Parts: sequence; structure tokens; C-alpha cells
Amino acid sequence: MAVSQISVFLENKPGHLLHILNIFETSGINVRGFSTADTGDYGIARFVVDKPALALEMLRAQSCAAKESEVLCIRLPDRLGELARVIRIFAAAGINVIYSYTLVSNIIAIHTNNHAATEASLKEHSIELVSQDEISAGA
Amino acid sequence: MPHRNCFDPAVETAPREHIRRLQLEKLQKQAVWTYERIPWYRERFRKLGVKPEDIRTLEDVRRLPFTDKQALRDNYPFGLCAVPLDEVLRLHSSSGTTGKPIVIGYSRHDLDVWSDCVARLVVMAGVTRSDRAQMAFGYGMFTGGLGLHYGCEKLGCMIVPAGSGNTERHLMMIEDYQTTVLISTPSYALHMCEIGEKLGFDWANSSLKIGLFGGEPCTPCMKREIESRMRIVCTDNYGLTEVNGPGVAGECLSSRDHQHIAEDHFLWEVLDPATDEPCPEGTEGELVLTLLDKEAFPLLRYRTHDLTRVTTEPCACGRTHARMSKVRARTDDMLIIRGTNIFPRQVEDVLSGIHGVASHYRIILDNESGMDRMTVMVELQPEAFSDSFESMNHFQRHIVDRLRQSLMITPVVRLVEPGSIERTLGKSKRVDDRRVKE
Repeated sequence: MAVSQISVFLENKPGHLLHILNIFETSGINVRGFSTADTGDYGIARFVVDKPALALEMLRAQSCAAKESEVLCIRLPDRLGELARVIRIFAAAGINVIYSYTLVSNIIAIHTNNHAATEASLKEHSIELVSQDEISAGA
Repeated sequence: MPHRNCFDPAVETAPREHIRRLQLEKLQKQAVWTYERIPWYRERFRKLGVKPEDIRTLEDVRRLPFTDKQALRDNYPFGLCAVPLDEVLRLHSSSGTTGKPIVIGYSRHDLDVWSDCVARLVVMAGVTRSDRAQMAFGYGMFTGGLGLHYGCEKLGCMIVPAGSGNTERHLMMIEDYQTTVLISTPSYALHMCEIGEKLGFDWANSSLKIGLFGGEPCTPCMKREIESRMRIVCTDNYGLTEVNGPGVAGECLSSRDHQHIAEDHFLWEVLDPATDEPCPEGTEGELVLTLLDKEAFPLLRYRTHDLTRVTTEPCACGRTHARMSKVRARTDDMLIIRGTNIFPRQVEDVLSGIHGVASHYRIILDNESGMDRMTVMVELQPEAFSDSFESMNHFQRHIVDRLRQSLMITPVVRLVEPGSIERTLGKSKRVDDRRVKE
């Protein structure tokens, strides 16, 4: 049920993120969610896109340091306490969220230390996971 | 038959004692020529209390005055010219990045000697008359362009004088004219690789076989990279504008990274830069060259500031001319950081042993905090990127540790994006010293 995420190594300088987004735009790749994080001199930008394979190919063709990895995408009802409920499940199951960010609409992407255990915990609590197909189709 | 691959076998494989006898003969003549025709040299001889006839053995070269770049600047443009300007057929000059350029003139004889020397190094690299050489050096005042051009013509191979720049046209010419030899700076060759790879150029099946590099230092790791990406054999040669340009020494395929010096035209000395005393054969010191066969701009004991070792041990190729090791440092590119002597090539050596970083780097020195700080910018290769700060930081610390072990100081390492360090067409500027000196 995992979704592809494209991560890119970026120097934290004006125009560098734009360069990546230009590549996406000209290749017709729609960004469905993203996050950026940095250490002071370099950073990692992470993207969930509708066409991950194409995105990776286009970035590599431009010699970008890009990598594909997996995240789990969870659809949460926009209600008080929903986020807390999910994180409480992880805490109880001993799952560590390494990073997370929100996508368009009410979807959050999470990367944990154990995706199989995370999926199992979410399933047990009937929390909806969003598939790659849905992301690509514009869930 | 090891001798068959020489341009001029009788000269290039002569017994050592013949070479030395010829050198002494020529040195004696050259000392007279220089003394009689150039007032600046006459004055130097007088100050040292030496006369041309004092040269009785090759070792007596040590009695002659040194020449350095400053002498060429002080006598700019024609003060060191030994023939009437009517006999000077061509001028070349250095790029003149600091102050005035230095200019060198050539008589017909000088041009003939020069193209002979270049033809030798071209043959040493494996080029034959059936080859087709594509020129990617700029022509003009730079000695590399016309130097290699006429050397190739002397050999008798086809030359395509495309000149520098316009990479796509170069790629087209390789394909259309089926050229087999590329003459370029190593950084331009890397640039061609990159552009070619983006455009889907098929290096594996291209007609190119040999790269003749020059114009800037070609580090072993750049060489390996170009060889594996372009699928060619890369050679380089040694020369400098002051002593004709390319052609002083050429890389020998039988002992890679060693270059046979054209000893019938150049007398070499290797001196300890601190004492100016000769170094024992095979130990590193500053290369000092005396032109043995130069009419227009003869130079005695020219201080190259290049550090090398020279051996007269026999070479597997059959040539008897001495071999110098590839110059990888200059007496003046040593950096002193917090009192420690560091050569940029040490950084290069460390980086070439780390998987996941490119061969390009930059060194930035500053002392904003009051203490010298060395920052090394290192290009991350796409395959080494991992989507985790923890492993990236670990990788960065690993590079710092490896550099610290070699340099004895702790640098700051900054990882930068692939391809982001400028590939200059000329000399790669690797060190940026921003330190404020009191």
C-alpha cells in the first residue's frame, strides 16, 4: 500500500528548489505533496507526485541526486483528535515516525522505522491508507 | 621491436653517453649565443663572474644564472630576444592572469624544433599517420593550439582545426569525420562527456581512441574518469609557454604518468627549492630547464616552479631519454593552513578514494573567526544520496575523517549538488583563498 516518494539532494540556495519544480512542470508531473528540510548548508526536498517513475527519470537525466523511497499515505477525516489518534497508535505500537508531511486535501505522508508494522497497526484501527493509484489519479 | 614507435628513433633511443655529449656541445654553444646576444644575460654572467667558456662539463650548468618569470616580465616584450625581429616568425604569449603577459618569439629553426618535439609526444601517445586529430584547444596566443596543430602536421596525420567551444559541433565532427584523437583540456573533455551523455552520444562505439590533454593539470582521477566515460586512452604532456609550449616531455604508454623529456633540446635539473642544490636522481624537486636549441628566445636555467622527479632508468618502450614524473604540484601552490603545509593534490587523492563523490572539488580558505578555516566543497554523486539526514551526516563525517588523516588538520566539508562545481574551459580554479592578511 506504500506510495512512491522522490527525494532530491539540494543546496539551500535561491533557485535550487525552483530548478526541480521546473523539471516537473515541463515534464507534466503534478506535485501532490512535498516537504523540505535542511541542515544549514544542504537539504532534502521530498515529493509525492502523480508520475513518480517519470519524475525520477527526468531528474536523473539532469544529473540531480534523486532517490525513490516509500511513504505511507493516510487519509484522515478533518475532525478534532484524528491526528492525535493516529500518532497514539504508533506510540502504543513502538513505531517511530522519522518524518511526515501533509499532502493535498486531508492526506498525510509518513515515513517510519517500520512500514509493515505501521500498516498493520493502521489496518487494525481501520485507518484508511491511500494507494499510489489514487495519488496518481488525484485522490 | 620497441623502437618502431618513435618519431625519430635515432635521437629518441640514442645511448645515454651520446645524449650527454650532444647536450654538452649544445649547452656550450647556447651559452655563447645567449651571452653574446642578450645584454640582460651578459650582465648576469658578469655578476656571477662566469664566462661561456667556463662551461666544460654538463655539471657546469650550475654556474649559469637562473631565469624566472619576472625576468621575462621585466624584459617585456622583446628584451630577451636574441635575433633581429625580422627573423622572428611567430609570437605566443601566456594568458597573463596576473599582470602583463609574457611573450615568446620563434625563429624558423625554433618552430621546426618545436614541431619535432610535439610530433614525438604525439607518437608517444600512440598516434600514427593514419589517425585523424580533432583540435578542441583554442588557437591564438596560447601555445597549445598551434603547437599541437603543427606537431600533428609534422607527423602527417589529418588535423581537424575545430578550435575550442561549440560542444555539439565537436560531437558532430567526431561522428561525421570519424576522428580518432581528441586534443583538449581535460576539463573540456569532461564537459564534452557530460553534454554527449545528455544528448545520447554513443561514446562506447565512437571512433575516438586517444586523448591528448594539456593546458591545465590532468589529475589521475580526472584521467580515469574520462577514460572510462569516453572509452579512450588519455595522455598528457609537459611544457610551458616560456620554453616553447607543449613538447618538453610526453607521456609514454609503457610507463604511464611518466613523460620522456626531449633531452636533445632541453637540459633538465631537479633542485631542492629551499637550497637550490641538486636533488639525488629520483627524488622530488623543482624542475629547472635550459633550452639547448633555441635561437630567438633562449632561456638558461628557467625555474618552472613545478615539482617532479626525473629518472634515467631504461624504459620499456626503448626510449633512452629521461622520464619525469607527472607534475602534480608547484612550489607555489603549497597552502599553509594553521602552520601546516598542504597541497591541493592531497585533497584530490583522498577524494578519489571515497566512493560517492566526484573528482571535482573546491577549497575555500578564510580566517573570519581569527583562525584559518579550510572548507572543502565536494560534489555528491547521485548514487551516494540517501533520503536520510542521518546517513548523509555520517557520510559527511566520513569525508572529514579521511581528509583529517591525510592533511593533519580538520577541514569543513560541504556537500554540493552533482555538477555544481564549475568546469572551466581553462585552468580549473580549485583554491579560493579569502584569508585577510594583516
